[in-house]
Formats: sequence, C-alpha cells, structure tokens
Amino acid sequence: MLDTEPSNDIARVYRFLAQCMQYPDQEWMNDEFFNVLYNFLGTLDAVEDGIAIKKAIDNTDDAIEDLQVEYTRLFINGVPHVVAPPYGSVYMDQSLQGTFAGDTLAFYHTKGFEMDKSADLPDHLIHELEFLSLLAEENDFSGEEEFLKKLFRPWYKKFHPRVTKGAHHPFYRVVVQLIDFFTKEEDKDGFQPNEA
Amino acid sequence: MAFNLTRRKFLQTATLAAASVPLSKVVSASTGVTKSALDTPGTAGDQTVVGGICEMCFWRCQLVGKVRDGRLMKLEGNPKSIDNGTAICARGNAGVKLLYDVDRLKYPMKNVGKRGAPKWKRISWKEALDECGSKLKNTVDQYGAQGICVFPHGASAKYPMHYFERAVGTHNVSEASFFQCRGIRDTAYVATIGKAPGEKIDMPNTKVLFFIGDHLGENIHVSHIKQYIQGLQNGAKLIVADPRFSASAAKADIWVQIKPGTDTAYMLAIMNYLVQNDKYDKEFVEDHTDGFEQFAESIKEWTLEKAAKECDIPAAQIKEVAEMLAANAPNVAIHPGRHVSWHGNDFQRERALACLTGILGAYYVKGGWVPAKGPKVGGVSWKKEDHGHKYDLNYDHHEDEKVYPYNPPGTPTDLIRDCAISGKPYPIKSCVVWGQNPMQTIPNQQMMKDLFNAMDFVMCVDVMPTDVTAWADILLPEASYLERYDYIKTGTQWDLSKEHQQYISARMPLVPPMFERKDQIYITNEIAKRMGHEAKIPVKTMEEMVDKNLATVNLSIEKLKAEDGIHIQPGKDPYGIPEEFEVRLFNEDIADTGHPGAPTYIPVPDNPKGFARLLYGRAPVHTFNRSQNNVWLHNAMPDNPVWVNDEVAAKIGLIDGDTVGFVNSEGVESATTTTVKVTAGIRKDCVYMYHGFGSANPLMTIGVGAGVDDTSLITKLAVDPETGCHGMRNNFVKLIKNGKVLDIPA
Ligand code: SF4
Repeated sequence: MLDTEPSNDIARVYRFLAQCMQYPDQEWMNDEFFNVLYNFLGTLDAVEDGIAIKKAIDNTDDAIEDLQVEYTRLFINGVPHVVAPPYGSVYMDQSLQGTFAGDTLAFYHTKGFEMDKSADLPDHLIHELEFLSLLAEENDFSGEEEFLKKLFRPWYKKFHPRVTKGAHHPFYRVVVQLIDFFTKEEDKDGFQPNEA
Repeated sequence: MAFNLTRRKFLQTATLAAASVPLSKVVSASTGVTKSALDTPGTAGDQTVVGGICEMCFWRCQLVGKVRDGRLMKLEGNPKSIDNGTAICARGNAGVKLLYDVDRLKYPMKNVGKRGAPKWKRISWKEALDECGSKLKNTVDQYGAQGICVFPHGASAKYPMHYFERAVGTHNVSEASFFQCRGIRDTAYVATIGKAPGEKIDMPNTKVLFFIGDHLGENIHVSHIKQYIQGLQNGAKLIVADPRFSASAAKADIWVQIKPGTDTAYMLAIMNYLVQNDKYDKEFVEDHTDGFEQFAESIKEWTLEKAAKECDIPAAQIKEVAEMLAANAPNVAIHPGRHVSWHGNDFQRERALACLTGILGAYYVKGGWVPAKGPKVGGVSWKKEDHGHKYDLNYDHHEDEKVYPYNPPGTPTDLIRDCAISGKPYPIKSCVVWGQNPMQTIPNQQMMKDLFNAMDFVMCVDVMPTDVTAWADILLPEASYLERYDYIKTGTQWDLSKEHQQYISARMPLVPPMFERKDQIYITNEIAKRMGHEAKIPVKTMEEMVDKNLATVNLSIEKLKAEDGIHIQPGKDPYGIPEEFEVRLFNEDIADTGHPGAPTYIPVPDNPKGFARLLYGRAPVHTFNRSQNNVWLHNAMPDNPVWVNDEVAAKIGLIDGDTVGFVNSEGVESATTTTVKVTAGIRKDCVYMYHGFGSANPLMTIGVGAGVDDTSLITKLAVDPETGCHGMRNNFVKLIKNGKVLDIPA
C-alpha cells in the first residue's frame, strides 16, 4: 500500500476530494479539515460556499451526526430512496459491479495498480479520485485524461446533478461541485459552462 | 454555486501550489488503490465457482457461478446435480441482480428518526453490536428471556433462532414458514402418518395427480416441476380443484371449479363414496390404518349431493374424480400442498388429504406418497436447554394444556403479538426480526405496527430494506446466499424410478461479501458475547459449522470442492411400506383434545353482500415479497393484475386493463392500484392476485408501490383451532375504480 503524501498539486487536490467523500467521522472531519476546506474554497473565489457550510455546521448540536445521516441518505440507503450511489456502474449498467466496474478495474490494472483487499468497489468515486491522484503523482497526464474521459465523466455527469438536487446539506452540494470542477474537460477556449 | 474561474486557469496559477499543500495535511495517508507489487494482474478469465445453493426461493437448487475478475456474471445449475441438473428458474438466474442490487443493505445502520419513519445513519459494527447486545440484555435482565420475541425466516435465521430459543430461553419465536405457510400441513400429517409430508409425491411414476389449490407452473420449484412434467409426459391424469383456471388447471383432465373454503367437504364426499362403494384399498386399510370404522361413520353424511351443494360443483364430477382415483389406486399422487394456511379450517383439510392417500393405499408405492431415502448430515447448533413452560404462551396455565394442541414448532404469531401489545400475561419488550418481513407475511399490518411501537428495542437483519426494516432501531446487513457458507442440502435423484443415488452439498460462497455484510454466525456470536453467553457458542465461523456438519458423513468443504460441490453416493430403494407405518384415519389423541378425531369439514364465513373473496398465490417469476425489488424479475412481471370474472366485470363496468384499488370488508383500503385482468377463468365470488407486490418501503426503489400488497387487505384474522396458524383467505374486497367503490354482484 502506498503510504506517502501526494507529491504534486493536482494529486493533492484529488486526494483531498476523495477524503471529502469518505464517511464523516470526527477523526478526520475536524476543525482543521473545515479550515482547510474554507481556505481552499476561498482560493477558488467561492467564499460564500464556505460560509453556507459553516452555517449548517454551527447551527446544530451534532454536526457530524447530521453529515452521517446525510451521507447515508445520499450514498448508502435513504428515505424515500438512496439519492446517488457513488458507483459508476449504477449509472452505466443500472447495477453495482456491472461491466463498467470491470472496465474500471481493468484500467487500473493496465496502469499497474490494483485494489486493496479492504477497498470498496473499483468504480467507487473515492477510489477513482485516489487513482487519479496516483496517476498525477506519476505525471501520467494522458492516462489521467483518458480515464476522466472514458471512465469517470460518463457516470459522474449523471451522479453530480442527483446530489446537487437531492442534497439537504450544503457540504455535499459543494463537494460534488468541486469534484466536477476538477474533473470536467474544458472546451478548447477554456470556457467551462456551469452545469450546477 | 459556481467557481468564477476555469479549471485550467486555476491549475496554472500559483494559488494552487499555495492551496494544495495544506490539503494533504487533512487526508488519510493510505488509498484503496495501490501499486501492484508484481506484474499487472490483468483478467483471470472466466472462472466457474462451484458450491452455490440458490435461495431465491426455498427449494435450494444447486448452482455454479461464472465469475470474472471477482464479479459474478451468471448463475447456472450445477451440471453434477441429480436434482435440478443444469436447470434453474427465472428467479434463480436473477440472483445476480439481488447480489448487486444498489438498494441492498451495505453497512449497519442506526435509526435516528422514528420507528416506521426512519432516518438512517451508518454506524460501525462495534457500535451496532454493542447496542443490540446491551438493549437485548437489558430486556432479559428486566423482563426475563420471554421479554424478547423473534421473527425468523430462511436458512440464515436458524442459528440465531436457536440461540434465542435455546441459550437465551425465549419461547416467543414465530416462523412465517410455519405459522403463515406450511406448518399446518406438517402437523396434520404428523398426526396422521407420523411424518411431515414435504411435497414427496412420486409424480413421474404416478397414474393420477390430485391437486387441491396447488398451481404448479406458477409455483416453480425446479426439480418438483421436472417431476410434474415427467408425470404428465408419462400419461398421468391430472385433477385440479381450484376456483381459478390456474396454470395447472389449464393442463388438467378434470378442473373442479370449487367454492373457496369447501375443499374438506369435497374430499369427505370422495372418501365417503369410495367407502360406501367398496372402492377403497381394503388390504391397506386393514394392515396399515387405525380407526377406520369411526372414520367411515364420521364422514358418512357426506353424500355426493350434499358436497356438490356445499362446494358448488356437479355431483357427477365428484363421482368422476372418485372413480378415476379408485381405478388408478394405489398409484395416485395426492399433493399435500405447500402454502396451506387458507381459511382457519386447514388442519382438517390436510388431515383429509393424508387420509384420502391412506384409503387409496397410496403410501410408499410407485406414484404415491414416497419419501426418498436421503443421507442424514448432522445439524450442529446451540445446545438445547430446558426452559420450562412457565412463560410459554403455548400453554394455558390454568389448565396446563396447550392452547393449540398441534401447533408447529415455535409459538403462534398471534399469541406473541397479543401478549406484546397488551403486556399480558407478561411484557415483551424487544423484537428481533431476521430475514422475515412480517409486514407482508403476517395478517393485519396495524397490529404488527402496534407490536413494534410497544417495543423498547427492535433489531432487523436482512439483505434488503424490506418493509419491516423501517421499524428497526438497528438494521444489520447480512451476506446473501451467494456470499456465505451455510446450508447443507441433501437429497436423491429427482426421479425415484431411476438409479438410486444420494447427494450431499453445502452452500459455499460464489463471491466474497461486499461492503460490510456479515453472516449469521458472526452476528449471533457477537451478540451472544455481549449478552453473557460466550461460553455456549457452538462454532466460531460459518466454515467451521459447515465442516463440522460435513464431518458427520466423512466429508469436508475441501472434499466437496474437489467433487465439484456435490458428493454423490449410492442410494436406497424408497418403495415399500415400513413395518411401523400407520395411517390414523381416526385419531383418538386429537379427539381427546376436544377437536374432531376424523377429518371434519368446518364451514368458513360466506362473502358479505357486495364483496368478493380475496385469493392470492404465487407468481412464477417472484418469490413473495423477497424478489419484488429485483430488476429483471420486476421487468418480467412488474405488477399483479387482479383476476375478475368476465360476467362480473361486465356487470360492474370493468374492462381488461382498467386500473383499480381495493377496499376490504373492514374498511381498509389498498395504498396502491393495479390493473384488471378480465377472465372466464375465475369464479364469480372471488378475485385473485399474486402475492408479494406493492412494497411500502421507498428504499425498495424498484418494488415500491408496484402492484397491490394483498397482505395489506388481509386484516381479518382466522386462526386454525388445532394449530394456531393463520388462515388468510377469509378476507373480502370490493374494487375501486376512479374513486367509485364497485359492489360485486352475488
Ligand atoms: S426453484 Fe428457482 S428460485 Fe427456487 S431454488 Fe431453484 S432456481 Fe432458485
């Protein structure tokens, strides 16, 4: 298992985004984490988003539990139904572990990576972001681009609006937008239409 | 929200460098994707994994899985199987879709909302088990073991059920498979022939098949269907008594369009005719039955004419059936049925089936009722302990007699439910639901809700978020039948006339469990440790349990794997009556409990004016509500149209495909609607629909609201007096179209 900190800027961003999508837990989702997030949003001219998250967190007795309930409802099992399972093949094959998950795993293999035994499914959003971060570490920009195009964006663009629409908590609305921002291909003029 | 710059621009700026360093301080060091140590693994190609045992229904066919890169691609029958062979049914195939169902439970969850209106939060196993253990222990400390009630179902529920019954010591355990399904059949046959009958009729080698309400073809169990088809191919005649033109009725030589609830009267008339006309098997009756005189005397009022009137069928047809049976006896197969909890008079009907088989001499002969001689494999579980009957609701403590003398194992559901709701004779304060969905199996949903609301603690273990799981405080995700070791399946070749063989197989995982799903041994043992029963734990893992069971026949998981998942050995000839075998046509013991000693017809309530009797049954591509969220099966059968007689439909202005809802005679309305199937193939006094549709739980994204939940309309309770099991076909409905309630013409 890799046990190092990501060494370049974009790798760090991917890893941070992957971290944001982990199940909320006091261990990592602490003041330091939120401060880093707010600062990061600041560098992106998105201070307002940071304020919205801060408000939601400050106005409750148990911010972590709120986020856990929200995470469960959005991504695991929810009422009236799970909003957006974070797995590619749910969107591409209407099933967990569809052929899309197999294709994703195959791509990892071609780049010399494999899934850890304790990992979730290969097409889980977190692992895809981790993988992108590892490619960035290796400066494999063409691999990154190919992966984004073939195996990330096709499902993420279906996943993203579901979360934006279904989220009750600003944290996940902002995080999926951040992921969108860092994974979306821009057209040749560098203009990025805002889907949100 | 929008970011006021482009990604590319942002990545090019110095800001990113400044911003990205602190980012790495708040991320965990490890990732789930790692550099391969060796060469790229690539794809291992397709593997065939042996040892699967299906549980999309409880027939448990033997499977192999086609696995690619850890993903189960396809299920097939195990070619080595001498039971189902390479065949599996549509539901069996669709197991892949259950395995990867997005809505499946994945992690332990805690309800931080209300029971019935849950707000789920994922929690760790430790937290979940600590909570289950401490809440259940508190209940025992405060109220005694009897303060816990358990609703189990399926192979995985056996081990925890034994734990709560044997180690903890509660009698308050109610299995749907007994109290809402086949328990009556088993105890009625035990009271008649000393054995539970299963569906052990020798259909391939019979001359006549006799079905009361069995709708094989809609009810699919692979090797059973193979037997049935083989029998028909070999020229067996088929008699089907059913108010509906079922898949079996469509193949029948004689379709008896019987009035629901009167089947026992029908059989009494057949038996009386055989007795009166000396057409029964005298030698068999002489040698192998008891109480013939009292039996004959007791049924003699049942003339063909009397039964014809009661059952609303022609007397000549009853005679025709009796003659056909007599002419072909003893090679006649009287099907004992499977789901038999119909009208609250079912023990007597099942007794009648067993006695009819007896007077035709159709036990242990070719084409009759023949239990195959399969291997016996030891059943390791929690050690039995005697907990006395003081808190056993089965006993009436004033008289010290059983409330229901022939109840199946466990406690009748309503004895538990009434006690839990009323707190009398003692409080029941915790409920464990394991693989059962009482909201869609047990009649009267309001009472079920009342039970859950009366609890201090409710835990559910399941693979899917079925309706009942919405009532849990803690919800635990279980590994499915494709992901765990578990059940030992034994049996013989499906056609008893062929070379005698036996098989032994054990359920083995075809793929490892995903997410944090656990098996029953882990969950039960962890709870047992927290409740102070660690020293009694019989096995540590599922593999250990299976290996210990297999060791009783000199096998092991390893050996079974080496034999492609199935061990085959020479079998024994099943034909020939055992010496001690006896059919108790009149049973003194039953008479001593104050119930009829000979099969007796007990009339059921008639339709209230304007209502039709609600009948339900099995769909070929669904297994009750267990499969309603399966996307393949849902596509094959998305809802459950209600069968309405064509003349009735014309009178009340319904046409095929109309959308209707229901209201029952107690004023309960269906929450959803379904379509109408107008047909001449059903009597005028009843309507019919497939069971197991219309889930109310929105977590079941495919099944929710699809079709109508027949159980929601079954609110009137009928309880079989000998067994305490429910009768579920004494409920009556009207249809609602465009908001207008339609009276059903008499
Ligand atoms: S009959 Fe069908 S669903 Fe039942 S065990 Fe066999 S294959 Fe599975």
